[in-house]
Amino acid sequence: MSTPASEQPLSTGSLLPSTERRQKLRKRRALRDGLSLYGVGAGGIGVIIALGLIFVYLFYETFPMLKPVSVEMETEFSVPRGADQTPTLHLTLDRFEEIGARFAESGVITVFSARTGAVRERLQIPIPEGERITSFGRGENRRSLFVYGFSDGSILPVRVEYPQTFVAGVRQVTAALSFPLGDEAISLGAGDVDEYSALAVIEGRGGFIVAAGTEDGAMAMALFTTRTNLMTGATQVTRSDYRLPSLGRPVRQILVNESLRNVFAIDERGHLFSYDIVDPANPRLLEEVELVDPGVRVTAAEFLVGSRSLIVGGSDGSVRQWILVRDEQTITPTLTMIRSFRPQPGAVTFIDPEYIRKGFLVGDDTGTVGLHYATSSVTLAMKPVSDTPIARLAIGPNNGRALVKGEGSDVMRVLAISNPHPQTSLSGLWGRVWYEGRSQPEFIWQSSSADDAFEAKFSIVPLSVGTLKAALFAMLLATPLALMGAIYTAYFMAPRIRRIVKPSIELMEALPTVILGFLAGIWLAPYVENNLPILVTGAVLFPLLILVAGFSWSRLPGAVRNLVPDGWEAALLIPVVLFTGWIVVTSSPWIEVLFFDGSMRQWLTEVGIPYDQRNALIVGMAMGFAVIPTIFSIAEDAVFNVPKHLTTGSLALGATPWQTVMGVVLLTASPGMFSAVMIGFGRAVGETMIVLMASGNSPVLNFNLFEGMRTLAANIAVELPETDVGSTHFRVLFLSALVLLVFTFILNTLAEIVRQRLRKRYASL
Amino acid sequence: MRESQSTVTSMAASLFAENTRSVRAISDEDIAITVEDLNLFYGDTQALKSINMTIPAGRVTAFIGPSGCGKSTLLRCFNRMNDLVDACRITGRINLHGEDIYARGTDVAELRRRIGMVFQKPNPFPKTVYENVAYGLRLQGVSDRRVLDEVVERSLKSVALWNEVKDRLNSNAFGLSGGQQQRLVIARAIAIEPEVILLDEPTSALDPISTAKIEELVSELKEKYTIMIVTHNMQQAARVSDYTAYMYLGKLIEFDDTINVFTNPSEKATEDYITGRHG
Repeated sequence: MSTPASEQPLSTGSLLPSTERRQKLRKRRALRDGLSLYGVGAGGIGVIIALGLIFVYLFYETFPMLKPVSVEMETEFSVPRGADQTPTLHLTLDRFEEIGARFAESGVITVFSARTGAVRERLQIPIPEGERITSFGRGENRRSLFVYGFSDGSILPVRVEYPQTFVAGVRQVTAALSFPLGDEAISLGAGDVDEYSALAVIEGRGGFIVAAGTEDGAMAMALFTTRTNLMTGATQVTRSDYRLPSLGRPVRQILVNESLRNVFAIDERGHLFSYDIVDPANPRLLEEVELVDPGVRVTAAEFLVGSRSLIVGGSDGSVRQWILVRDEQTITPTLTMIRSFRPQPGAVTFIDPEYIRKGFLVGDDTGTVGLHYATSSVTLAMKPVSDTPIARLAIGPNNGRALVKGEGSDVMRVLAISNPHPQTSLSGLWGRVWYEGRSQPEFIWQSSSADDAFEAKFSIVPLSVGTLKAALFAMLLATPLALMGAIYTAYFMAPRIRRIVKPSIELMEALPTVILGFLAGIWLAPYVENNLPILVTGAVLFPLLILVAGFSWSRLPGAVRNLVPDGWEAALLIPVVLFTGWIVVTSSPWIEVLFFDGSMRQWLTEVGIPYDQRNALIVGMAMGFAVIPTIFSIAEDAVFNVPKHLTTGSLALGATPWQTVMGVVLLTASPGMFSAVMIGFGRAVGETMIVLMASGNSPVLNFNLFEGMRTLAANIAVELPETDVGSTHFRVLFLSALVLLVFTFILNTLAEIVRQRLRKRYASL
Repeated sequence: MRESQSTVTSMAASLFAENTRSVRAISDEDIAITVEDLNLFYGDTQALKSINMTIPAGRVTAFIGPSGCGKSTLLRCFNRMNDLVDACRITGRINLHGEDIYARGTDVAELRRRIGMVFQKPNPFPKTVYENVAYGLRLQGVSDRRVLDEVVERSLKSVALWNEVKDRLNSNAFGLSGGQQQRLVIARAIAIEPEVILLDEPTSALDPISTAKIEELVSELKEKYTIMIVTHNMQQAARVSDYTAYMYLGKLIEFDDTINVFTNPSEKATEDYITGRHG
């Protein structure tokens, strides 16, 4: 070490900073250390919390479905009747459930506050001179349609609605009486009848039907067809009278369904006579059905909204649901009992269906009110309310309140009901459900329809199966390609091409899936449909020609083979693949002409194989394409990271490269390859855009290659924007999101556990 | 072959067996391998420069020299492991019993069966003890359980591991200690009956007791196999080998009876290295 003369000699003491400065520095370093420790920790915990919050939020939105139904006594007051002492025929509530109406036998409709019982107003039905009301019938709740029968055999349909007005910004609900067929009583039948034992009115498409039956079995029916003049707006009513064949027994109840096709008459034994009135002049008796067990009487029967289901209550407390089932063989539908509910403790006295859902209230002679729901076939509540038998019940249009009047009692009770999501029982979501109009219990997802009285079908099964189906077909395509590609790239390929190939494939992952889905749905799906032979020829020719190419390559003299450096052989396959593709595409029309009469698509239909343009195959191809980079990238890393000393160890033992791959490399890389596949599967399960655009979105339940599916993710994307916030549908969608999340969570956890175990076993030194 | 008349009186003499032989006087049938004008290039760098040597059969030949001198590279030439290295080019010949192993058409896999190799770091496969030993046989298409059982037992016995592992043949080989693993790897190598065993610093990752066991094993194995060992440990070279080659900067500086190399080196560089002035 020589020091130039011009410089100071180097000091011999310590060159470190002074003790004080070092102490300061130590403090700063400790601070930074702590900051980074807690900063990184907080970041990590934050991620976990964020993930947890997603779960919490999904639970929070789903949770209300699990809330138990409550039926509480809210208030009671004496029956609002004023001076009117006649019995109560019927009760209703307005849609805000603030005011109620009591239909009395005197023809007076007393409108009262549902909170206090104070009488608001009184409406009077016009009764023909010198006559009295002898019978009363109701239509569907949501139509607010009723019919009075008078002692001269005439009838008068009335409508009681609750128009709302705003006075100084405050909502005022009043009751309004109207007469859809005029305010004149209409004589029905012969006019020799003074009392109907059963009376019904229904408003269907294109008109009304009023049907009546008497103690001695006579039945008459009047069809009122309404026609509105487009120019003047005036409504013209045409009336036709029909007679139904006599029952020969007292008619206890008569019901007409909304389609105006069927009349059901129930006699005193509980036998139902079903008539086809498609041609009302010639009514046909379809069948006679015993609705209840022998010795039991039918004490109440009511249609659910939509009049497709008949709820029958018996004197033994039984509550059953009957629907018209049209099975494959018989054209005429037969009335079938599809479920029975928990029986009431006493004989059923009254049934009131909900306005827009498939639920209903049942009252019995022990004073107990039961709340049942048809679709989920559950009894939501059973509550003793009155000390006398229940005479009349009225559920509010929004299912929040109900009026209860006991037999011979002067007390009107108001029940507060909380029952927002009655349809979502475990069995309703995951089990087979016998829906209205279906011939057997099924798994169906159909959340909405144009019809108000539609029975929503929330089965998560077709969606879950669809999700698995889409993922399965995608994996079927992606897994072998991606894994074999990964093994080749990592183990055999020359580093120079590997440096090009690996990033290129990984770049595929950045391709927006919406583009893939778009291409699959708009280009690939129709292309494949028009060139179906390519599926067969492609599946056969690609592997075959690649194998042939490989085989002939191995047979070439070494001098030729040495022209291609080691690891570049894959590049030789490019022309082979292009050539095969060309053959497959150009041969398709010829094959169609030669073997399938010009159209394989047509041929499939003739053979009886259903083919949807957007099907599992298309989804499999498009989503497989999206999943390949994920699997490839992780699997390639796993193979590439197999320690060199293991592969050289194997080669040094005289193993060929292929034996080394099979014996050592795959074994050691198996944890990574396994998790690659699982992560790919997780990706396929959660993938939305591709299935949304290429799957056809029909929630069918099968594993057919040529049919579509609807996945959980696509379903959420499709339906969430159009559902009512807070509705059952909304919450079921959140539930399906939760199912999806739990599904991927389980999948990934499983993958991780297996991976950790494999890794422990194959841990390299 | 003639008995060496050792006149060396240095301390090192006590390390050697009495019957060491001179390298210059072996007959043809005792020659396992001859190396003729071997040059090896990694890209533009020449790693081995014109190596010529004769490896005697049934003896232990040690390769010593400072790091980077090319001794491991040379060892890897014998079973063509250098083929796996990109941009590695070789000229010259290596003859195994008179056949050039670099000749076109050589079955490299079969060559590697004949010339086994054990690496610096024990590298058992992530398999059971049994399957590790059976691996090479399975490669050769042996699947008869009785044959496998016998070979596994024999191989493990010949590396003195049988008594230690016979109760856990079906547990993972990673459960063994480093020394046991290295003996397992040797058992794996001899299970396929090689002619030559290459040991590339086999004890550098082991503790002294394991090292002693391996050295003992090497002495036993030379009865049946030609052994070449690369080592950094000069005592080890002196203890286990019959012949020693000293390499420096890719050249073979000296190759002779171990006793001569350690007691009376003919080259100054060798002496500098073994006396610790260099390396």
